[in-house]
Amino acid sequence: MAEILMSEAERTFILHGIQDNVRSDGRGCEDYRPIELETEVVSNANGSARVRLANSDVLVGVKGELGKPSLDTPEHGRLEFFVDCSANATPDFEGRGGEDLALEISSMLARAYDCPSCLDTQALGIIKREQCWVLYVDILILECGGNLFDAVAIAVKAALGNTKLPVITVRKDENDETELEISDDPYDCERIKILNAPCIVTLSKVGNQHIVDASLQEESCCLSRLMVAVTENGTITASKTSGSGSLNPESIIDMLESGKRAGTLLNKTLHAKLLEEEVKVGTKKKTMGFLT
Amino acid sequence: MPTEECIRIPGERICRTDKGLVAGRGTYECNGQIYSSVAGMQLKSDKDGKVHIEVQREMKQNVLPEIGMIVTAKVTNVNPRQCKCAIISVETTSLSDPFRGVIRSEDVRSTERDKVEMYKCFKPGDVILARVLSLGDAQSYILTTAENELGVVIALSESGATMVPISWNEMQCPATYAKEYRKVAKVQSDHITQNG
Amino acid sequence: MAGMELLSDQGFRIDGRKPCELRRIQSKLGVFGKPDGSAYVEQGNTKVLAAVYGPHEPRGNIVKLQDKVVINCQFSMATFSTGERKRRPRGDRKSMELSMHLQQTFEAAIMTELYPQSQIDIYVEVLQSDGGNYCTSVNAATLALIDAGIPMKDYVCACSASYLDDTPMVDINYLEESSGGTELIVSILPKSEQIVFLSSNSRLHEDCLNKVLDMAIKGCKDVYLCLDETVREHMTQVSASFSAD
Repeated sequence: MAEILMSEAERTFILHGIQDNVRSDGRGCEDYRPIELETEVVSNANGSARVRLANSDVLVGVKGELGKPSLDTPEHGRLEFFVDCSANATPDFEGRGGEDLALEISSMLARAYDCPSCLDTQALGIIKREQCWVLYVDILILECGGNLFDAVAIAVKAALGNTKLPVITVRKDENDETELEISDDPYDCERIKILNAPCIVTLSKVGNQHIVDASLQEESCCLSRLMVAVTENGTITASKTSGSGSLNPESIIDMLESGKRAGTLLNKTLHAKLLEEEVKVGTKKKTMGFLT
Repeated sequence: MPTEECIRIPGERICRTDKGLVAGRGTYECNGQIYSSVAGMQLKSDKDGKVHIEVQREMKQNVLPEIGMIVTAKVTNVNPRQCKCAIISVETTSLSDPFRGVIRSEDVRSTERDKVEMYKCFKPGDVILARVLSLGDAQSYILTTAENELGVVIALSESGATMVPISWNEMQCPATYAKEYRKVAKVQSDHITQNG
Repeated sequence: MAGMELLSDQGFRIDGRKPCELRRIQSKLGVFGKPDGSAYVEQGNTKVLAAVYGPHEPRGNIVKLQDKVVINCQFSMATFSTGERKRRPRGDRKSMELSMHLQQTFEAAIMTELYPQSQIDIYVEVLQSDGGNYCTSVNAATLALIDAGIPMKDYVCACSASYLDDTPMVDINYLEESSGGTELIVSILPKSEQIVFLSSNSRLHEDCLNKVLDMAIKGCKDVYLCLDETVREHMTQVSASFSAD
């Protein structure tokens, strides 16, 4: 991830601030920075969203394609996550430089969504063992300003919620062969239910405290992090530690609790915002994209 | 005639080169005309009896070390022939990415240049002031500290305290009173900016 | 194909434009904070982000040049940018070729002799593609370079043109591009009208070349006017915010 230069004094300042529940930008330990969200930004994708969490910028496009279901879940569709770290974010990502980070993010997402209750993949199945929807969730990282995982998860959830898949009707013709008919009416579409989809909350341990949504400066002060994927009702679908430090069991329990709290709130806010966007899209809003 | 304080953009023709007008920073000359090469404000300045036309950006600009500039660097590696360092700031602008610099033993001081012992002049971690001597080979910029005002500015002792300079070639630790050898800079900020 | 006339009897194109009309261009400078310069350009449905880093010390295995700066370009396309999903955002033959073309274009425009032994990175990311990837990339990269304050001889503006039914058409979109007709791509330095890059696909009668080329150059100049407006607006804003301080 992008490295920044910091002096010992800055580090101490941040550490002491966090101990008193005041962070260098005035937030408390469980507050997020302002998040900007816009859906339907890429017209070539079935669903898309752009999230800007302070300086982290993520663009997600979801494309649905017909494919074969996997053997162990013949009636379900599936999700494929692909992360691309654009060199726009930092020159270190040029060529294959961002692949490690990309892999880490995509595998975390795959685990977070690999839970039958959070996304109804059965609704994506079309013909048992033959055809299903494969949703390619492509994540493009345009700028890194700390707390990438959370920003990515928010954008993924928003993009999935925005995804419109054409209705498919299965028919049998006279020779008893199945025939798929894809509706070409853009308003005749199916949506994906994302109410139970998880958001990722990254908790960074700084000193004896832990914080959510660490900025780049705070990330460089923290040795160990815990990432939890939380749904709106507080279910944890995946978790993972990262960083070079270690954590003791009690603090992990504490962090899971804060993660649940922050995650539930984040999901609620996101749902409200998505609903608002939906109304706007309905009334022919103008896509601003990067022009704002 | 060029008007003061107006916005110029790349490729825009500013004026002709006659009447003692010279293309300065942010501009270039082609076929007797001065054109702007960056987007910014147009300025006029007098230098050596000639009027320089410049276009200046108001935002931060990436600077590169140029010959004669004073740079701040951090020592990374010392061997008997030379000392490698990372240039972290050029004049008053700090860099986002360090540049590689090297000080050869004959460029450390201006007297007794052949008797310089590198280990008595620099240690890794020292912050130094140096002047860019040349753009050097493909590897790194060549720097010099052969001036009284150039050399080590900040150095840590073995116990980790910031040392205090006591002479042109010695520094002392305020905690243990141990003395260490360095090529100490006599910091006189006015003097340096005048020279630079 | 029925109903797929590229040029109607009334002289309108498939998206309702006249043959000499560009698509709508919208652009913005300084989209991101981290790069030294960045820009976003929309030409119709083609949307491109460009970022510029540098000049800085060459990285990795890039060999320094003694007399001029190394210009390093990377072109990549988001996997969701095209109608059919792309497998890889970069590294395929087409992106590599475009990266090389971009490098060639900007070596002609940037005053490379000012920064010997250093490197300038130009990263271009296509977010949505509807034809004219190269042209929009060049236009976005020009704005990003201006935002980064890198000295250039002039803007670089690029535009494409095609030829159909004895009519030259400017700034062609994906449908027109993929119909198999001629495609001529030109980048020019608009002030001096120098062509810095030219490429053409499919055959075109020699007698028509001039007409198509003129059309493309006219397109470039129109693009220039749009970009120039954005830059001036941006500069006025910036200087206003500086004098307010």
